Amino acid sequence: MSLRTSAAVITGCGVVSPFGLGVAALWDALLAGRSAIAPIAGFPADDLVPNAAAEIRGVAADDPDRAGALALLAAHEALAAAGLDPGAVDPTRFGVVLGTTCGGMRIFEAWDAAAAAGTPPPADVARVPYFAPAVRLAGALGLRGPVATTQLACASGTAAVALAAGWVQRGRADVVLAGGTDILSRFLVAGFNCLRATAERARPFDRDRRGLVLGEGAALLVIEAAAHAARRGADVLAAVRGAGAAADAVHMTAPDREGGGAARAIEAALAAAGVIPAAVDFVSAHGTGTSYNDAMEAAALGRVFGAAGPAVHSIKGAVGHTLGAAGALEAVVCVQAIATGLIPPTVGLVTPDPACAALDLVRGEPRRRRVDVALSTSSGFAGANAAIVLGAP
Amino acid sequence: MSLAVAITGASTATGLDGLPAPVRSRAARAERLAQLALAAGAGALAAAGLARFDGPPGPELGVVLGTAFGCFLTNAAYQRRLALTGPAGASPRLFAATVSNAAAGELAIACRLGGPAITLSAGAASGLAAVGEAAELLEAGAARAIVAGGMDAVAEPLEAWVRDGGFDAARPLAEAAAAVVLEPIARAVGRGVPILGAVRGVASGFEPDWEAAAAGAGLAAAVRGALAQAGAGEVALVVLGAPPPLARLEQRVLLAALGRVPRRALAPKDAGGETLGAAGVLGVLAALGALAPRECGLVLDVCSSGHVAACVVERQEIPA
Repeated sequence: MSLRTSAAVITGCGVVSPFGLGVAALWDALLAGRSAIAPIAGFPADDLVPNAAAEIRGVAADDPDRAGALALLAAHEALAAAGLDPGAVDPTRFGVVLGTTCGGMRIFEAWDAAAAAGTPPPADVARVPYFAPAVRLAGALGLRGPVATTQLACASGTAAVALAAGWVQRGRADVVLAGGTDILSRFLVAGFNCLRATAERARPFDRDRRGLVLGEGAALLVIEAAAHAARRGADVLAAVRGAGAAADAVHMTAPDREGGGAARAIEAALAAAGVIPAAVDFVSAHGTGTSYNDAMEAAALGRVFGAAGPAVHSIKGAVGHTLGAAGALEAVVCVQAIATGLIPPTVGLVTPDPACAALDLVRGEPRRRRVDVALSTSSGFAGANAAIVLGAP
Repeated sequence: MSLAVAITGASTATGLDGLPAPVRSRAARAERLAQLALAAGAGALAAAGLARFDGPPGPELGVVLGTAFGCFLTNAAYQRRLALTGPAGASPRLFAATVSNAAAGELAIACRLGGPAITLSAGAASGLAAVGEAAELLEAGAARAIVAGGMDAVAEPLEAWVRDGGFDAARPLAEAAAAVVLEPIARAVGRGVPILGAVRGVASGFEPDWEAAAAGAGLAAAVRGALAQAGAGEVALVVLGAPPPLARLEQRVLLAALGRVPRRALAPKDAGGETLGAAGVLGVLAALGALAPRECGLVLDVCSSGHVAACVVERQEIPA
C-alpha cells in the first residue's frame, strides 16, 4: 500500500520493560505468556498492601532520574533500529513527545524528605517536573525541534504517539521520538492501594480479576514523515493512520460505565484513519484488570465493533500497568503484531468475565493472524481516553 | 497554509465568585490547579456563548490545557501526609488529583465537553503550546470548538522547590490562569458570534543551552515556522517571553527573522511575573488588546527549561 508523503510512519522501536532491555525481550516474554509481577524489591515496601509490581531490575538502578534514563535507553534502541543518526537530521526538524505520570517522583520523594528534615536537596532536584524526561532526551540527542510532555494520566503514552504523528503530518517536524516512561515509587503504589484499585495478580478481562498491578517501563518509537524515511531508504515498520481523543466527562476516577468516552476516542481515530471497524484485525486494549475498566472497555469495543469484533489482547497481566509508558509499550506490541502476524496471549486471563465475553480475547497461546490494521486504546484518571490506529506499511 | 482559527471567547481567572453554580460547586471541592482551570475555562466558554452545564457530553467540544508544574501542590500535600502517616493514612481524594489532567477533567465534567481533552507540559511555554495544538486539532476537524488555556498554581511547596534549585524562573512566580475559545473562522461567522482575533500560525522548538555557540536555532525555527504558516508579511508588535538573562538572544533571533524588531514590544512578564503555563495565553490576550484591526502580532514564550513557542495572532474584531 502506498503512503502519502505527509504520512507518519514508524521506522524504529525501543523498549525497557520488566523483562529487560529491548523489544525482543518484551516480545519473547509476551509470546511465552510470562509475567514479570513479583513482590517489590526496589524500595521499602513491607507496609504496602498489596506490594506486588512488575519492576525493572538491574537497569539504570544508580541513576536518580530513572525515568529519564530508561527513556534514553529506549530511544537509543529505537534510533538504532531505525538506522537513524540524530546528527544526520536537521535538529530543528527533530522533536520529542513523551508521556509520563510520575517520572521524577522518586526525586520528589527525596526532596520532600530533605525539605522536612532541613537537609540539602537532592542533586537532581531540577528533574522533578513531568517535562524533565523529555528535556533530558532532547538535550542528550542535541534536538532543537518541538518538545512536549503529554499529561493524560494513563493515556499519556498513546497521546504522545498521536501528537507526534500529528506534528509530522502537519509538517512541524520530519522526525519525532515519541513514547512514554514511568517508574514505580512508594508515592504511586500507596496511592493506588488507598484507592483499592490494586491486586496481587493482574487478570485482565477475567471473571476473577481483583484489580491492577503497577509496573514500570519506557518505550520510544521513531515517527517519521514517509517522504523523509523514503529519502534515506529506511524500512517502514508501520504507519500511524489515525488518532483520536475524548473525555468521559463523567467522573474523576471511575470510568464511564457505558464506555462513552473510550468509544468516541476509538471512533475518532478510525474516522481520522479512514478505516471502517470491520477492517481492524487486532486491538491492544487498555485492559488493566480492574472490574470497572475492563467492563467499560468491553462496552466501548462492543459499541464500535458490534458482536464480531477483532482479536483483543492486554499486556498488563505480563508487565503490569506502566501508566504513562503503557500506551507506548502497547503501540510497540501493535507494530510487532503487524510485523510478525502473531498476537500474544493475555497473561492472567483464564475464564473471561461474562461482561467481557463478547470480546474475541486471545488467551492461552499466541494466535497467528495477519494484522493489517491494529488499534491501541488507553484510558486514565479524569476521564481521559486516547486511541491510535496503526497500519501495515 | 495560514491557520483560520477564530478566538471567540477569552477569560482570565479572577476567583470563584461569579461562576455559574455548577462550576462553582465543582471548584469548591477541587484542587487549586483545577479551580484555576474551571474559572478561566468556564469564563471563556460563557464569553463565546458555548457554556452548558447539563445534558450528555458534547463530542464537538474539546479542551487543551498547558501547565508547567501541573499538580505539584497536590503531589506535595499527598506526599507529606504519606510520609507522616504511612500508607494507612494516604489520602484517596488527594491521590486522585495527582494527575495534571485533573484540571481538564474537571472542566470537561462541569461544562459537558466530550471531545478531545488534552493536557500538555512544555515548561513556561505550555500555554502557547496548548493554543497551537488546539488550533491544529480544529484544522484537522477533531472538534468544532476547543477551549485552550494555561494555568499554574503557585504556593509555598512549589516556591520552596524553586528556591532549592528546582527551576530557574528569573522572575518572581505568579499564579494565573487564562483561556480562549477557538473555533474555525467559518463556523464562528456562521454562529454570528463576535470574533476577537484569529490564530494564524504556531510553531515550537527547543533551546536548551543559551550560551552555546549555536544558541538560537530552536527559537529561530519556532519564530520562522509561525511566521511562515501565518504568511504574515508585517508584524506590528511582538510579545516578548524570555527570562531576563535570555532577552538578548531573543532580540537577536527576532532581528534575524523579522529584519527589524518591531517598535511596539510588550513584556507582560515584567509587570506580572512569571505566570508559567498561563503566560502564553496572557500574551495572546495582551497582543489582541494592543493591535489595531487586521494587524498581526507575534507572541513568544521562552522557558529556561529549553521549551520555546511562537504564535502569530491577528486582531479581527468582527462584531456579532
